[in-house]
Amino acid sequence: MTLPKSLMPRAAFAAALIATPAYAHHGWGGQEEKVTDMTGTVVQGVSMAGPHATLKIKVNGEVWDITLAPPARAARSGLKEGLIPIGDTVTVRGNRSTEPGRHEMKTIYVRHGKDEFHVYPDRE
Amino acid sequence: MPSPHFGAHFLTWLEASPLGAFTRSLGVWSYGVINLVHILGITLLFGSILILDLRMLGAWRQIPLGVLSRPTTRMAQIGFVLALCSGLPMISVKSTDYIGNPFLLIKFPAIALALLNVWLVHRTQAWQAHRTRALMPSENRRLKIGAALSLIFWLTAIAAGRMIGYW
Repeated sequence: MTLPKSLMPRAAFAAALIATPAYAHHGWGGQEEKVTDMTGTVVQGVSMAGPHATLKIKVNGEVWDITLAPPARAARSGLKEGLIPIGDTVTVRGNRSTEPGRHEMKTIYVRHGKDEFHVYPDRE
Repeated sequence: MPSPHFGAHFLTWLEASPLGAFTRSLGVWSYGVINLVHILGITLLFGSILILDLRMLGAWRQIPLGVLSRPTTRMAQIGFVLALCSGLPMISVKSTDYIGNPFLLIKFPAIALALLNVWLVHRTQAWQAHRTRALMPSENRRLKIGAALSLIFWLTAIAAGRMIGYW
């Protein structure tokens, strides 16, 4: 398949227009549709290793696994390892796992004091 | 706390090992790059094995098996080493996340069976003679069984491996 060169930017733009709403509205498999805010204490600081950056917080005596974006994306939102000390209070917003007894949230946004980390701004 | 699960001790140890600590320290792109090497290793391994196995099952008979077996075996070995050397650090990053993941218990036994099958095929008279003379029908049948088992075991390992992240 070939396209005239002059049409290529327009074709790419059209493809992007079609693709964006689909991405913005699609949920995370295995997560609740609704977005929840939770405030808790950091028990394990931000880790930038692995397929996703992670964080653990304690909310009402329960430890929650806070799954962030892939490390490079989490870093672009300003998050860094060691930035949020253990014991500090953070608020996270995201979609919780639908699995009963599984305390895990895929996270859109993290607030620590005055610092805000928009991990997935297009999901807010 | 890790729930009782086969391999839980090993996974806990692996995460705390120097390999885990080193891999976690490599920066935000490291997991993606290691994952890329893993995929390249698997494609090299399975692509080569697929061609060799299909030949043993009867495809492309105009190409002598003895001509095809050397490059495909060598490429598969290189692919396996790449997959192993990237897979270990990848799993060491957060090994305890995989405790209770059933796909691990499918993947690694499937790899063990696949390797056992390689060893058994290479021990057969058919394999040892295939570069020097034409094979007898019974020898070809033995290679066909090995090739079919190879495809089943490697495909199972790859499919279970792919599903680990979706558990």
